[in-house]
Amino acid sequence: MAADLLDPKAVRPRTFDASKSDVLGAWLSAAIESPVRLTNVRLLGGGAVQENWRIEADVKGGTRAGRHSWLLRTDAAQRLAVSLDREAEYAALEAAFKAGVPVAEPILRCTDASVIGRPFFIQAFVEGQAQARHATRHPDLASFGERLAGDLGRALATIHALTPANGTLSTLPVPMAQPAKVEVARLRAALAAASQARPALDYCLAWLEANAPTTRNLTLVHGDYRTGNYMLDGTRLTAILDWEFAHWGDPMEDIGWLCARCWRFGNDDVTHEAGGVGSRKALYDGYNAVAATKVDPTTIPYWEIMAAVKWGVIAVLQGDRFLTGGETAIELALTGLMAPEMEFEALEGIAALEATRAGR
Amino acid sequence: MSKKDKAGNPKAKRLSAETLVALAVETLKAEIVPHLPADKRYAAAMVANALDIARREITTTDDSPLWALLDTTYDDGDGTPQQLATDIRAGAVSEATHPGLGAKLRAIVVAELKVRNPRFLRSRGLKI
Repeated sequence: MAADLLDPKAVRPRTFDASKSDVLGAWLSAAIESPVRLTNVRLLGGGAVQENWRIEADVKGGTRAGRHSWLLRTDAAQRLAVSLDREAEYAALEAAFKAGVPVAEPILRCTDASVIGRPFFIQAFVEGQAQARHATRHPDLASFGERLAGDLGRALATIHALTPANGTLSTLPVPMAQPAKVEVARLRAALAAASQARPALDYCLAWLEANAPTTRNLTLVHGDYRTGNYMLDGTRLTAILDWEFAHWGDPMEDIGWLCARCWRFGNDDVTHEAGGVGSRKALYDGYNAVAATKVDPTTIPYWEIMAAVKWGVIAVLQGDRFLTGGETAIELALTGLMAPEMEFEALEGIAALEATRAGR
Repeated sequence: MSKKDKAGNPKAKRLSAETLVALAVETLKAEIVPHLPADKRYAAAMVANALDIARREITTTDDSPLWALLDTTYDDGDGTPQQLATDIRAGAVSEATHPGLGAKLRAIVVAELKVRNPRFLRSRGLKI
C-alpha cells in the first residue's frame, strides 16, 4: 500500500484532457461567435474538489477581440457531494460580480458534459497569490494585515447584501428551517454516511442543533470565506475565489468560518483572529461600515464551533476518498487523520460557552 | 562492552520498528529534504508526517479512554464507536443521560491526538 502512495504514476485522473484543446476551442468559438485559438493550456495547482486550468486565448474579431488569459474551472474527477455543481457556482459568481464583490469576471459557462467531460465555466484569470501562507507568513503582514481584514469585511458585507428577495440566484434552494439547523442536518447526514464513526463530531452536532441561533436575516453565504480563498496582488485584495459552497444562510456563518482558529494558519494571537491576517475589530469595522445588518458578536462563538465541526466532517469525507473511494493521494489519507484536531477545537469551544453560561 | 544474557552469551541486538522509522524520518529530514526542489518539499513533509504518525502508532496508542466510555455506556463488550455515534445522533446518549459525556469524548480525542499530532496538543497548552 505504501508503495502505491509513493508511486509517481498513481496520479489523480483529470477531467479535462489538455490534448483535446481543439474541441474546447471549437466550443468557445461557437459560444463567442468569433474564432478562438487556444495558445496555451495548463493545469494550475490545488483542487481536490475542482480542476482549474489557465488558458491563453486569441479571439479574432467580435466584442471580445484580442488576447485573453482565462481560467477554466471544472469538477475534479471525484468531488465532494456537498459542493455545488458548476452551474450553480457560476450563478453565484455572476450575482456577486454584478453586486460589486471583488471577483474575477465570469465569462461563459458550458452545461454540456460532452465538450470536456464535465460541465465547466470560464472566467477572467486574475494575477496574484491565493496561498494562505503568502498572506499569513508575509514579512510585511504587520503593515497591511489590518487593512486586509477591513477589506475582507467590506467584501463580505457586499456578498451578504444579496438576499433571496433580490430575485437573483433562483437556483439556490431557500432553507425551510433555521439555517444553523439546516447546516447541522447536512453535516450529520454526511457524517452518518462516512465509513468512520466519530462520536465526538456527533456530540458537537447535537450541541449545535440544541443551541442554534435565530437568524435575523437570510443572505447569500459564501460558505468557504477564508484565507487561501482570496487573491492578493501584492498585498491588495483583488478577488474572492471558490464559490462552490455558496448557499442562502446566516451571514454570521461566514464570519465564524473566517475567524475560526483552524483557519488562522498558526497565527493564533489575538491580533490575527480574522483569518490569521488581522484583528477581529478591523474585520467587524470594515463589515459594519457596509452591511445593512451589523455583526452580531454574540453568535460568532457558535459559528466558530460550527466551523470546526464542518472542517472535521470534511476531514472525515476526505479520508474516505482514500479509505473507500479508491483514491491514493497521501494528502487525503493525512487529512482524514486530522478530524480529532477539529473535534478538540469544537469541544473546547462548547465547554467555554457552557462555562460562561453557568457563570464559571 | 556488550550486554550478556544469563548464560553469558552476547545479547542479540534487535532494531525495533520504532527506532527504524525514527531513523528513516531523521535521514529524510537531514539528508534528503535539503536537496529537494521547493515544489517537492510539501510532499516530503507529508511523508515525514506519515512516518511519524506510524512510529507513534507503534508505541503510544491508548484506547483506554474509548473503552472506559463504551464500558460505562453499554453492557459488557456491546459498545462500539459506531453504536455510540448512532446513539448520540439519535439523542439516546447525551449529556443528560451520561453526565460528563463531553469531557469523556475530549479524553478520547486527546488520546488520538497524542498519536496523530502531539504538536497540536502542545500548541493548545496540554503537557504531554
